[in-house]
Amino acid sequence: MWDNLSLKQVAKYAQDPYPSIRKWVKEKGIKAVGSTIADVPEEVIYAFGLLPVTILGTNKPLKKAPSRLPDNACSLARSNLELVMSYEGDLFDGFVLPQVCDTTQHLSDIWRIVLPDRYVESYLAPRQVTRPSARYWVREEIERLIASLSRWCGKSITDEDLKKSIRIHNENKALLKDIYKIKRKTPSAITNKELFSLFKLSMQLDKTEFNRSLEKIKKGLKPEKKDGYTDVILVGITCDPPEVYDLFDEINLNVVGDTLVTGTRYLQGVVDENGNPLEALTGRHFKRGFFSPIHDNVYKNFEEIKTLYQKTGAKAIIYVHIEFCESQEYDLPDLKKMIKQEGMPIHVMDTEYQTLSLSHLRTRLQAFFESLKGGSL
Amino acid sequence: MSEKLNSKELSKKITNDYLDEAFNAHEKGKLVGYTTAISPVELFVAHDVIPIYPENHAVANLTAKKGAELCSVTESMGYTSHLCAYARSDLGYRETGMTVTRGIPKPDIFMACNAQCFTLTKWFQVLARRGNLPIFIFDTPEFIMDKKAREEIIKYCVVQLKELIEWLEGITKKKFDYDRLREVMKYSAEASILYKKFLDMAQYKPSPISIFDCLIGMAITVYRRGTPEAIEYYKTLCEEIMENKVNKGIGVLQNEKYRLYWENLPVWFKFSDHAKLLGSYGGVILTSLYVHAWSFEFDLSKDPLVTLAENYVSRFSNSTIEDRANMALDLFKRYDMNGMIMFMNRSCKAVSFAVPSLKDILTKKTGIPALVFESDMGDQRFYSEAQIRTRIEAYFETLDRFQRKTA
Ligand code: SF4
Ligand code: SF4
Repeated sequence: MWDNLSLKQVAKYAQDPYPSIRKWVKEKGIKAVGSTIADVPEEVIYAFGLLPVTILGTNKPLKKAPSRLPDNACSLARSNLELVMSYEGDLFDGFVLPQVCDTTQHLSDIWRIVLPDRYVESYLAPRQVTRPSARYWVREEIERLIASLSRWCGKSITDEDLKKSIRIHNENKALLKDIYKIKRKTPSAITNKELFSLFKLSMQLDKTEFNRSLEKIKKGLKPEKKDGYTDVILVGITCDPPEVYDLFDEINLNVVGDTLVTGTRYLQGVVDENGNPLEALTGRHFKRGFFSPIHDNVYKNFEEIKTLYQKTGAKAIIYVHIEFCESQEYDLPDLKKMIKQEGMPIHVMDTEYQTLSLSHLRTRLQAFFESLKGGSL
Repeated sequence: MSEKLNSKELSKKITNDYLDEAFNAHEKGKLVGYTTAISPVELFVAHDVIPIYPENHAVANLTAKKGAELCSVTESMGYTSHLCAYARSDLGYRETGMTVTRGIPKPDIFMACNAQCFTLTKWFQVLARRGNLPIFIFDTPEFIMDKKAREEIIKYCVVQLKELIEWLEGITKKKFDYDRLREVMKYSAEASILYKKFLDMAQYKPSPISIFDCLIGMAITVYRRGTPEAIEYYKTLCEEIMENKVNKGIGVLQNEKYRLYWENLPVWFKFSDHAKLLGSYGGVILTSLYVHAWSFEFDLSKDPLVTLAENYVSRFSNSTIEDRANMALDLFKRYDMNGMIMFMNRSCKAVSFAVPSLKDILTKKTGIPALVFESDMGDQRFYSEAQIRTRIEAYFETLDRFQRKTA
C-alpha cells in the first residue's frame, strides 16, 4: 500500500495520512503506537511488530483540547491532543510520549486521563546531555520502554529483532539523505513540500514498505539545472502546517539545510549497526543536533546554523517559531543576535496550526527576500 | 541578654543577615549560586555557596505591582509576553536595575532543578550566557507511578547529585565535606518538620492562619533551608500561633464559613485584596499544594544523597496529575475544606496545564464545586478585576446553594 507511492501522491498523503494508516493497520492487524516529538526510539516500537506513528498536529478545528490545555499552550501540543480526542484517536492502540518542556511535563498524564482504555507510556528523555548520567539514563529509559512494551504486547524481543528494525530505519534515513542531496543541488527535481512530506511520512508509515517508494522516487527524480532559486536554511523544531512549504515553493526558495526535528535532526538519528543494539540506540541519542528543551547551550545551535550556512552557501536563514513554544522563546533573542552579528540574514516566521494566515506569512516572507535582494539587510 | 525576637522581627533579621552575607560573598571567599526554589540547595549550603533565588526577588517586585513595567522592558528586548512573569520581571530588573528591594547579588554559578519547571532552566541559561557562567541542570524526570521506574529515577538523581558535587569541587577547588552535609541535612529536616507543623495549624477551627500567612511564612524555608536560623524561626512562629491564636480560639475569621483550597501560586499583586474579598463571604483560603512543596520529609537514617533525591523528585509539581490529586485530597481531608479555587496561571505552564484535569478529579472525588479562573500571578495586564470579582461572587452563591443542599 505504501510501497509504490509517487511523488505527487506523497504530498497528498502527508497532508492527511490518517485514513491510509487506519486502513493499513486494519488490513494488517497491526497495532499503531503514536508518539509526539522528539526522540522516542521508534526502532524499539517497530521491533515489537507495532507501527510507530509520529503525531504531528492537525489544522482541523479545536473542540475538546482547549478544555484540557489553555490557549497559551503551543498549538502543536494542543492540536496533537485534539487529533486523538476528536479525530483519529480510534486508530491508535497506544502511545509513547516524551516529556521535555513545561507544556509536555504533564501531557502524558492528560493523555492517560482522556484515553483511559489505551496504553500510555512516558519516555522520560534526559534534559541534559553533557554528563555521563545522561547516557546512563537514556539506556535505562530504553530498557524500561522495552519492558513496558513487552508487558503490553505479551511478548519479548531479541537483539536480532532490534537490529533488523534498526537496519530498516537506517535505510530509510539513507534514502532520505540521498534525495535531500539531489534537491540541494537541483531544486527543480523535487519541491520543498514534496521533500518534507517524505520526511513526515517516513515518521508515520511502515518503513519496510515506504522505503520501496523512496527508492523509486529517488530513481525517478530528474535533476535538471534550473536557475532562479534562493537557497535557505530552515531552523526550528517543526515547520507546519504543510502549506508553509507551498509558500517556499511559490517564491522559489530552496531549502538546502535545516535543523528541524522533522528534517535533518531525524536523519542524524542513524544508529550504529555494529555491536550491542541497546548501546547503539543509547549512543544515537547524543549524535543528534540541537533540540532546545534538552540542550543547554544555544551556542551549539548557533554553531550548527553557521556551519550549515557556510557549507551550503545559503542566502538566508528562516527560523520557524511555533507560537507559545517557551523553549524557543527563551533562546530566540540571543540566537537572533548571534546570527545577525555574524552577518547572516534571518527571518523569523511565526507559525500556528489553527489560525495561521498564509497571506500574512507570504507578505512578510516576500518583503524579507525583497530587502535581501536590495542588500538592505 | 537581648530580648527574644518575635517571628516577624526574626524573619527580618534572618533575611537581612542572609542578604548581607550574599552581597559580601566574594570578600569572604564564597560564591553566589543562583538556584531554583525547589532544588537540593543543601549541597550549596554544605559547600559554602550562598544560594540566591531570583524567584523570591521577583515575588517582591510582582507583589509591589511592578510586574507589567518590568515585563514590558523584557518584551522590548524580544522576549514574548507569555513567558513566566518571574523570568520576564527578572530580565527587566537586570536591564533597568529597578526593584523595590535592595536587589540581589550577581551570580557566579547556576543550578537549575526541573522538578519545578523547565522555565527556570531556560531562564538561567539566558543569564548564564550573559556572564559565560557555569550552569548545572539537575534533571528530575517526572515521578511517574511505576514503582520500578521510581527506583530508577532515584538512582539517576543520586548519580547526578554526585556529579553536582564534583562540579562544585571543580569550581571551588575545595573538597566536599559529607559531614557538613549531614549537619545541614539535620537542620533542613528539623526545619521542614516545623514548617509543616506551621502549615498544619490550618487544621484548627477556626483556622488561625490563612494561605496569606503561609506565603509570608514560607520565605525562610525557601531561602534558608539547612541553617539553624530556619529552625529557630519556625519554632518561634509555631509557638506564637499556638499562644496568641489557637489557645485563645482566635481565627483569621471568627465566623469562618468556607474553608478553601487554592490551586497554584497566588496572584501576588492581589493577594491581600483577595483575602479581604473572600473574607467578606466568610471564606478563608487555608492552603495549597504550592506552600506544601517545601514540607520535606528527609530520612536522616539514609544516605543524604538518596533522601535528597527522593524528596526533591517527588514534589507535587513533578508528580503525575493523579498523585497530585491524591496529595490535594489528603489536604482536603486533614483540613476539612469545603471549597476550592483553581487558578490557571498564565505565567506558570508547568503547574497550570495540569489544573483542568486536576479539577475534574478533585470535584469528582470530593463533590465540592470548584471555581476556575485564568489570569497571571504577576503581570497585571492579564488580570481583569471586574471579571474575577464577578466570578468569585458567583462562586460563593454556588457554594451557598451547595451547602444548603448537602445540609
Ligand atoms: S518544545 Fe515547544 S513546540 Fe515542543 S511541545 Fe514544548 S512548547 Fe510545544
Ligand atoms: S512560576 Fe512556574 S514557570 Fe515560573 S519559575 Fe515558578 S514554577 Fe517555573
